[in-house]
Amino acid sequence: MELQRIDLPQGTVDLLILRTLSAGPQHGWAISERVQQVSSDVLRIQQGSLYPALHRLERRGLIKARWGASDNNRRAKYYELTRAGQKQLEVETDSWLKLTAAVAQILENV
Amino acid sequence: MLNDLLYRMRALFRRNVVETELNEEIRFHFDREVEKYKKQGMTDEEARRSARLAFGGDEQVKEDCREARGTGLIDTGVQDLRYAQRQLWSNPSFAVVIILTMALSIGANSAIFSVISSVLIKSLPYPEPEKIVRVFLTSNIYPKFPLNPFDFRDYRTHSKSFDSLAAFSRGDMQLSGGSTEPVRLHGFRITSGFFRVLGLHPQLGREFDVKVETPGNGLQVILSDRVWRSQFGAAPDIVGRKITLNAQPFTVVGVMPAGTEHPGNEYRSLAYGEDVDLWWPFTFEGDPTRRGAHYIEGIGRLKDGVTAEQAQSELSAIMTQIARDLGQGKSDWQVMVIPLYREVVGSSQRMLLVLLGAVGIVLLIACANAANLLLARAATRQREIAVRLALGASRSRLVRQLLTESLLIALAGGALGLGMAAGGVKALVSLLPADFPRAHEIHVSAPVFAFTFLVSAATGILFGLIPAIQASRIDPRQGLHEGGRTSTGTGRLSRLRNALVVSEVSLACVLLIGAGLMLRSLLNLIHLDPGFREEHVLTASVSLPGAEYKTEAVVGRFYDTLTTNLASIPGVEAAGAGSDLPWTGYDDNTSLNIEGKQAPPHDEFHARYHVATPDYFRALGIPLLRGRFFTAGDKPGTQRVVIINHAMAQKYWPGEDVVGKRVTWDDHPKETDWFRIVGVVGDVKDKPSSADTEPAFWWADLQQPFTSTDMSLVVRSTADPQTLAEAVRNEVRRLDPALAVADVAWMDEIVYGSVATPRFAFVLVGMFAGLAILLAAIGTYGVISYSVSQRTPEFGLRMALGAQRLDVIRLVLAQAAGLVLTGTVLGLLLALTLARVLKNLIYEVSPADPLTFGAVGLMVIAIAVLACYIPARKATKADPMIALRAE
Repeated sequence: MELQRIDLPQGTVDLLILRTLSAGPQHGWAISERVQQVSSDVLRIQQGSLYPALHRLERRGLIKARWGASDNNRRAKYYELTRAGQKQLEVETDSWLKLTAAVAQILENV
Repeated sequence: MLNDLLYRMRALFRRNVVETELNEEIRFHFDREVEKYKKQGMTDEEARRSARLAFGGDEQVKEDCREARGTGLIDTGVQDLRYAQRQLWSNPSFAVVIILTMALSIGANSAIFSVISSVLIKSLPYPEPEKIVRVFLTSNIYPKFPLNPFDFRDYRTHSKSFDSLAAFSRGDMQLSGGSTEPVRLHGFRITSGFFRVLGLHPQLGREFDVKVETPGNGLQVILSDRVWRSQFGAAPDIVGRKITLNAQPFTVVGVMPAGTEHPGNEYRSLAYGEDVDLWWPFTFEGDPTRRGAHYIEGIGRLKDGVTAEQAQSELSAIMTQIARDLGQGKSDWQVMVIPLYREVVGSSQRMLLVLLGAVGIVLLIACANAANLLLARAATRQREIAVRLALGASRSRLVRQLLTESLLIALAGGALGLGMAAGGVKALVSLLPADFPRAHEIHVSAPVFAFTFLVSAATGILFGLIPAIQASRIDPRQGLHEGGRTSTGTGRLSRLRNALVVSEVSLACVLLIGAGLMLRSLLNLIHLDPGFREEHVLTASVSLPGAEYKTEAVVGRFYDTLTTNLASIPGVEAAGAGSDLPWTGYDDNTSLNIEGKQAPPHDEFHARYHVATPDYFRALGIPLLRGRFFTAGDKPGTQRVVIINHAMAQKYWPGEDVVGKRVTWDDHPKETDWFRIVGVVGDVKDKPSSADTEPAFWWADLQQPFTSTDMSLVVRSTADPQTLAEAVRNEVRRLDPALAVADVAWMDEIVYGSVATPRFAFVLVGMFAGLAILLAAIGTYGVISYSVSQRTPEFGLRMALGAQRLDVIRLVLAQAAGLVLTGTVLGLLLALTLARVLKNLIYEVSPADPLTFGAVGLMVIAIAVLACYIPARKATKADPMIALRAE
């Protein structure tokens, strides 16, 4: 059966990246795999939005990058959360939960 | 914020590294993806295909990443720049014309700004210069008059407005025993505190203290750095050494550092920036209750928070008190306190601002011209722009791109202009009148660079914005539809271009009128009769040291012998000596009593006084109107005589025969105190810049009431200039080998130099006006020839239907005339309002001079019509067949 995939709005990609990185440093490919896996293949970050998002987050100082060896011993660019990124993640998680709760409430009760 | 900046900087400056990293990152992702598919059982090829599909266009991803890195704006800027550069290369003649005109006008602006920045903006070379003020007396007759020493001393004692108050007076000295033969040095006599006022300190030794002001204590001197080095080999032990000045031993007490600048003086002035060689003490001699002599100038440093006005009213109050104490009645004299800055630059300020205005106008015209050229090109680029718009280029991006081009033009012009300015400034300074304030400080400096850059950027936007917006308004459908041949949509465009031409013509008019008025004023000044004949007259000055030439008799004998010897040089027609020469800033005045006449209250008889030997007038070519010149017989013991000028005769003896009338300088004259008028000479203009002549008289050299050790020599001769100057030096040396001959100059040079300021103003404004009308002509030519090319089919049709060449020419010229006439009329009206600022700069010309306005109006029309004649002739060549086929 073809799984239904949902297109992600821009801000959400940032949130998912930050959340994924809060588990530890990862390279781009692993981040996208992880998101897909955890969301049971429902959510998938298009590469076209993943890398620009990573670069934007890096510019804003929410994540930082360094080069390291991947599990198959190739040079890979690893991203990790900065302190500012940690804070941003908390703020965004909080507002996301509020937003979804409010939207859910409306959808159920109106 | 900082992180953001660092990130962008890295992205920008380490572009290659960042790009490689990005490639590697994307590659890594792709490979992992392929691996994943292979694990799922795909072949290598299938896996790659799937990965590529999943990934999307990797160039797009990379582009988005670059965008995310925040260097997008700069990247597109670089693209725009390359595009602009290509555009300019593709049409080099257009680029050369437009960049050159911008360079010329920006360069002119930078050059004038260099002068303004150094003269008006840069602060005077003293600490806290705004606190320094000059102190003068003023009355209805004499707007700026020197002080009496004892008055000054009372001001200094009683005033509380000043940190320090000092006075100075020109006093050149002759140095002997230095490393060269005797030299005349520029000197000033100063009171204590003079350098404290200026905020300057000696590099060696100290300043004068109050004790040296007492008579007998004044044999001290402070040297300039230049004299210390050139005459004394920079001897470190100079302080305390005795040197011989005017044949007297002076003790060196200090050496001022290099760059000690003279604050300028009104009375017997020294050119600004010309070095003062030494300073020696001013001593207060004579009877403190006699205060008729005025010959020192005041300068002071105000206390914190005290204004010049407050100081002025304080000094005025002190002056009233002095008059009361001395039992004098009320006078109309008042104290005047002027900030030093205003005193130094005041007279040149207006002229410089007028020049700045003039170059500003040139720049505006150049902008209009550039805008016009760009508009014309935009018309030919309509199709290209329409295509780009149709393909989705945003209008703002398009405007940015076109603006980049105009900025590139302006900045190239600015860079080139700066080079021109560097050369131009040198030429400007050499054109400047000798007495122009701070001329030696003028050069292209950092503020000039900044100014040029800002002006270039601003002009780039100014002349680029309208064409850019205009171009971006093109409707892509129409632009494409018409396939490059445009007629609709150009209505607005041609209206805009017409407006630009009209404003170019009118601004050029304004400048031409300014130049015209200045030319007329200059001619008026040159044609003014100076009152003497300046050709073949050599002048020089000699100063006799008072220590050796003690008595009137000795001094008198010296000049008598010298002038007699000079007259015997072959070729010399007449040789004389006098206290001064015309137009050298000398204006010593005295009050006097006239036999049988009573001066009206508050307006005493007064006149400028001079001393002359018998042949002084003949040598200068001053005509005798009545009576006789002095003779060798006018000597001590005989009837004392004076010669007066025509102005004095007119003022005090209107309608009378003055020869034989008597005057005196004594309030209670004995019979021997009376001087008889023996002659009336023609008026010599007091200043080269006006026809005015104040009353003046001359004492006979041998009968003057005091001793004049310093005299100017005047020799009229047809001999070769160089040998004459040498002969004069020889004659002086033969009489006294210790004397220096100074200020050797030809009178015609002095006369030529005297109109330097108006000539300078005229030459510059004239050049700017020339540039302006050239630009306006180019603009007019551009618009008309474009319109001719647009109307070629029409002209062809007309000629096919039988119109004559002349008819077509008339059609084109009529269109041009409409623009030019509008521009000229607007320009004349504008000039009528603007010319008023010239009022104080022009002599005997009305700012609304009908001759200038008429001539300029006709000239502008003629030039503009001439500029249109070439396109008009081209119009007549329109081939009816080609024109018809094209339709």
